Amino acid sequence: MTTVLSKNDMSEAKLYLSIIDDVIESMRELFLDEGLEDRVLDDLRHLWESKMMQSKAMEDFRKNNVNSSNFVLQLPANYSQTDQELAASALIPASQNIHSFPVKNSETLATFSLPAGLAYPVQIPAGVTLQTASGQLYKVNVPVVVTQAPAGQQPVSHPPQKAPAPPQSAAVPPNAIRPQEDVPATSAAQLPQPKTNLPPSQESSLPQHQQVPAADTSQLQRVHSPQCEVTLGENEPSPEPELVNFSMTASPCSQLLDFQLSTEEALTQTAQLKTRDIDDILKEVIEEEREKAGRLDLDYSYSELSDIVQLDGPADNSDIEEEDGDPLEENDFLGIINAEAIKVLQEGDGSSDGNSLSSSSDIEGADELNNAEEEDPLNSGDDVIEQDIPDLFDTDNVIVCQYDKIHRSKNRWKFHLKDGVMCYAGRDYVFSKAVGEAEW
Amino acid sequence: MDSSNDEALDIIVTNVVATFRTRCHLNLRTIALEGTNVIYKPEVGKVLMKLRKPTITASIWSSGKIICTGATSEDEAKLGARRLARCLQKLGFKVRFSAFRVVNVLAVCSMPFAVHLIDFTKNNRPIASYEPELHPAATYRIKNLKATIQVFSTGSLTVTVRGSALKWKLQS
Repeated sequence: MTTVLSKNDMSEAKLYLSIIDDVIESMRELFLDEGLEDRVLDDLRHLWESKMMQSKAMEDFRKNNVNSSNFVLQLPANYSQTDQELAASALIPASQNIHSFPVKNSETLATFSLPAGLAYPVQIPAGVTLQTASGQLYKVNVPVVVTQAPAGQQPVSHPPQKAPAPPQSAAVPPNAIRPQEDVPATSAAQLPQPKTNLPPSQESSLPQHQQVPAADTSQLQRVHSPQCEVTLGENEPSPEPELVNFSMTASPCSQLLDFQLSTEEALTQTAQLKTRDIDDILKEVIEEEREKAGRLDLDYSYSELSDIVQLDGPADNSDIEEEDGDPLEENDFLGIINAEAIKVLQEGDGSSDGNSLSSSSDIEGADELNNAEEEDPLNSGDDVIEQDIPDLFDTDNVIVCQYDKIHRSKNRWKFHLKDGVMCYAGRDYVFSKAVGEAEW
Repeated sequence: MDSSNDEALDIIVTNVVATFRTRCHLNLRTIALEGTNVIYKPEVGKVLMKLRKPTITASIWSSGKIICTGATSEDEAKLGARRLARCLQKLGFKVRFSAFRVVNVLAVCSMPFAVHLIDFTKNNRPIASYEPELHPAATYRIKNLKATIQVFSTGSLTVTVRGSALKWKLQS
């Protein structure tokens, strides 16, 4: 079957996280009413998220970190005279990658985008305006090192000044909502910022301004920094985590060195190793969560949780189970029928051929099936070959959605689906519209 | 239309329609939810189940009556019907395979010559009828065989036989 999806803007990970937020928040009051502590709810959330990550259904969440960077550097008009100088300084001596920005001297606006898959760190000279993929502008007045480390911290040496030209303020207020930031967040929120050199006090502030669109690594970074774990709860609410969250209390310079080393180490690894690191990180998270869970003495709530059988995730069986392997059968009637069918099957094997008239039903009516009345020789299993074509591809690939239109012509099917989630090859894809074709 | 003519016409059975009863009430919703290769039509009140091996499409009604179409021979129809009953049995219904009978056999044949329908109808006045405004073929009915032959001007024929004429064959 071939399918075409048209996706909405949010990636799956963000969507799932927002779903988790909604559920947890709506449950908070109920939990409190029941007399359970908030910690229980937070632990539930941590468990949920760790399981979700573990299922690796949202790999793109982390792949985005590596690929999605597309910087557009704009040189403001008044720098056109000094283009040549800038061109020289714009040669970025990246430690991993070598790329030179072709500055177009003739144009007042020089824009160039970094190649995809760019390996950080990248040094950006002064006088350059950074525009992230989401359109926010940052004016760099001091040399900046933009780094990205999927397995390490996200260091930034100097946060750039906000450009007087109004950057898109959409994401700025959420940036400012950092509960643990010491920074006078107002400095980020205010758009018309006088172009001053960064005072040393600001240097020591949490550099939240540096927006790296690929900084969805924030989640991974949180994993590493024990300080940041507390923010796990708070960070999720932001649906667009294009922020890098650091709680650096040491001086940024020394940390920069540390981070650079760690990033360089990280970047020397191949992509596969990076993902392995991610797995290790996930394992660490899960172990930490388990430890946390062990420390709590809220046994009663956990025992209740463990009694709940998990029907989805790795534990689900999407196959149709026709035998008696359905412990959660709610329909009693069907359960009875199943039991009877099984007995019928068992007795049918041992029965004679259908021409013999058996006595009237005293056992569960199994004999009736073998009656010869009206040529009724449905010997369960003898004559009738039981579906010699096994149900091929009992897959785990599932689509759960609503349908607009399902059409069939002979054996050609056409599907118009909407608002669904598709689990294909272990990964989840969320769509608002899907069109498919299949042949039966 | 025998195949023992001089010209050795090949007549091909294209469709056999058969019905049978399961002698028990069927829960269409259960079949629709748990059966494989099923199409639920709640507006009509039936479930279509398609089989691959003998290519059969069965209409299943909640009363237990099942109509099987699409088979290419009567034996195949019976085999498919039994397979279908087996499927239903596995779903949990106390199915009894009863009252199997072939309702219809459809075959096509082609004459190597064209036919003048108007003259044909005139010559076979009471047996053949032709209404060009209703249907482009002339209808020729053989009463004792319970057969209906539709003759097209191109020389193609479709032969439809009602099942009762075949009953003697099934009981053997």
